[in-house]
Amino acid sequence: MKECKIVSRKFDIDKSHTLAVAKEHGAYNAVLSAFELSSEAIIDIIRESGLRGKGGGGAPAGTKWALMPQDELQPSYLVVNCDESEPGTFKDRQIISKDPHLLIEGIIITCYAIKAHDAYIYIRGEYYQFQKILQQAIDEAYAEGILGEQVMGQDYRLDITIHRGAGAYICGEKSALLESMEGKRGHPRLKPKQKEPEWYFGNPTLVNNVETIASVPYILKYGAEGYRSFGTDQSPGTMLFAMSGHVEKPGVYEAEYGTSMMDYINHYGGGIHGGKRLKAVIPGGASTAVLTAEEAAGANLDYEAMRVMGSALGTGGMIVMDEDTDMVEALKNLLEFYHHESCGQCTPCREGTGWSDTLLGKVLEGRGTSEDIDKLLELADTMDGKTICVFAPAVAIVIRSFIRKFRNEFEAKVTQ
Amino acid sequence: MSQVDIVIDGMTFTAEKGSLLIDLLIKHDLKVPYFCYHEALGADGNCRMCMVEIEGQKRPQIACDTLVKEKMIVRTKGKNIESVRQNILELELINHPVDCPVCDQAGECKLQDFYMDYGLYDSHIDQSDKVHHRKHVDLGSNVMLDQERCVLCARCTRFTSNITKTNELGIIGRGDHARVSTMPGKKLDNPYAMNVVDLCPVGALTSKDFRFKQRVWFLTSTPSICHGCAKGCNIFIDHNREKYKDDRIYRFRPRENQEVNGYFICDAGRLSYKELQENRQFELLLNNEVCQEEEALKAYGELLDKHHEEILVLADANLYTEELEVIQAYAESLGAKLCCPMASYEDDAFADVWLKSSQRAANAGAVEKLGIATELPEKKVSLLISFNHPDREKVRADRVVSLQTHAAEEGTCDLVLPLAVFSESTGSLINEEGIVQFCPKAIQHNEPVPTVIEWITLLQGGER
Repeated sequence: MKECKIVSRKFDIDKSHTLAVAKEHGAYNAVLSAFELSSEAIIDIIRESGLRGKGGGGAPAGTKWALMPQDELQPSYLVVNCDESEPGTFKDRQIISKDPHLLIEGIIITCYAIKAHDAYIYIRGEYYQFQKILQQAIDEAYAEGILGEQVMGQDYRLDITIHRGAGAYICGEKSALLESMEGKRGHPRLKPKQKEPEWYFGNPTLVNNVETIASVPYILKYGAEGYRSFGTDQSPGTMLFAMSGHVEKPGVYEAEYGTSMMDYINHYGGGIHGGKRLKAVIPGGASTAVLTAEEAAGANLDYEAMRVMGSALGTGGMIVMDEDTDMVEALKNLLEFYHHESCGQCTPCREGTGWSDTLLGKVLEGRGTSEDIDKLLELADTMDGKTICVFAPAVAIVIRSFIRKFRNEFEAKVTQ
Repeated sequence: MSQVDIVIDGMTFTAEKGSLLIDLLIKHDLKVPYFCYHEALGADGNCRMCMVEIEGQKRPQIACDTLVKEKMIVRTKGKNIESVRQNILELELINHPVDCPVCDQAGECKLQDFYMDYGLYDSHIDQSDKVHHRKHVDLGSNVMLDQERCVLCARCTRFTSNITKTNELGIIGRGDHARVSTMPGKKLDNPYAMNVVDLCPVGALTSKDFRFKQRVWFLTSTPSICHGCAKGCNIFIDHNREKYKDDRIYRFRPRENQEVNGYFICDAGRLSYKELQENRQFELLLNNEVCQEEEALKAYGELLDKHHEEILVLADANLYTEELEVIQAYAESLGAKLCCPMASYEDDAFADVWLKSSQRAANAGAVEKLGIATELPEKKVSLLISFNHPDREKVRADRVVSLQTHAAEEGTCDLVLPLAVFSESTGSLINEEGIVQFCPKAIQHNEPVPTVIEWITLLQGGER
């Protein structure tokens, strides 16, 4: 396995969350080189690097940055999405607790590029401990003149504010996140009719994932080509893949895109727990189609390869399940989560998540029929593509992949 | 903005580029189901019912969030789109209690209508599987909430946040546990609160005043104008004449008029229908004794003969313009002074910046237009003939003839003649902006009370 530490470089260093240690290991060096460039030049570098959003969607970050107006007629904002709530995903918390200064460095460069003077970090409420570490880092940065009226002695003001969420999964959806930040219910907004930035209190706003922003300093330091030396042509760079479930060493390990999934699981995860056989892997956080062991054997960890497999790379949080896993129970666990977290705005999602949970509950209690399984599939079709955000389509994908790939296990529950 | 042609279900329509597709569909009566969209509240896109197929788009789109584009080809009918609607409708109904037999919305419920249009499937769900919520929540301001019947279209919450800006209502909870509520310990409390009952497409919000009184399919809706103030809000009078019984008003509802009131009316106006049926004057009184019409007319003739030196005619500024004109001509024929004092119609406490005017007389505009005097003469008069004027008792007079809609304390008048209220008569009003609006007769009593014009005909010796 090729060693690649772009974001996780300082993770293993003691006290790397403090400014002194971080600076010793090169923190904030990229800021000074960024200030020598124009905003447009930085956006060009990011675009050339092919950096992709690491919150789940994988959209090219540079394209998104370029949507931000450069005319400064209105204030612009950067909002860093740290509402990491996707089951199986726990990478952003590593960044904010192990190397918060890398994130702050990325924020400074990003804000300079999009001409923003205020950045917000939206952290899920449950991340209280990590938020404290990040806030300490921000306070240190202010004290050292890295943030504030004159960022690192330059004629450029930047303030960073942490906003704690109240613990809703949907607030990880960027428009719901902004609604939440505006003090409203976290409901996703209707999609705009053309390509445009997000809006925070009517002002153009860029929303990016923590890891995306934390990748920026490296790109500034080593250039687009440096970043592109990792990963594949269409998915350049690296990602903090996370691994949980039935593996020997669950955790977060950085790897380049295009790495073979099984190599990753065996190399970093130490293989399947207890020497058992693999049954299935959910590749990128709960909301992606589950892969069977055979599919996983041929899977590569990049956006394009995953799409070919009919799944998605998502957040890169793999949930590994061994041969003893009851797939019906596993799906029930996920549906309970979706039932609990649907924001309740759109009818298909509000009622569909609840009903699918109820139906599967019936099956598990032994009251189900084979018709109920078909009903679940029908329900998945009704939920797919008919809502404001992609929550319900994701649930549809999960239901379909579980039932289609492990139908015999479902049938066994209804015939027993 | 330019006009463009678009094709819907094979027919070509012209519409403004960039306007909402759903507005065009509604305008041309092309049926699409919807709960959350409302012209006054705009698109929210949450109910997902107004799905249409648009050529070139992979998935069905909601018409309320689709902008009209040149050469757009839209399909509102067909097997695919209808099954999409049926599936979403089924989800709307999954946790609905289906208690239509005891629901006041039955008959004007969008869930019922759409089920008949697009549903008609066999239920997939056991009654016991439903999510239950509170069924009797008194929100305040005469509004009752049944959380189980709610489809969470958010019309009511958007009304309080965007229209009245009072923000009493919100949705709490997530997923299928989401429900409409006020803040703990707070009430729905604004002068327009009851509009949420009309906005609610289902039986979740019902009027405490109207519920359990009448089935809506028995009601006749007659267009009219609210007489609560000079704004002249357009309303429907919903009334029913049960067999052998008198015609009765059960509610006022707002009627859309963009020139005057938009889509809404105030609660005071909405509930003012009650006054038309309470404490009414139905009998003729001669010296406080019930008398017949003949006796009354004879007594009136005698009063006119004996006390004709100084006659004052008072006319209520709520009477129709046509009625005021007839009174004006009649006063002239008697050689009497006509006057309509306006002071007691002024009510600053009632007014707001939206639909409530400080001028409480519905037809103050006509009083001004007809040049009727508005100052009360200080001199004592020999005979006062009052057409329902509220200040009648302020006039010093030897003899008093009062034509009145409502019963007053006895002993002050020589002759009392009952008068029809506006819903029992017909005519037009001039509102405070000078807009002339017509009110047809809505209520037909078994024993009709004469109108102003009928009385004047009778008083002049004619026949009804």
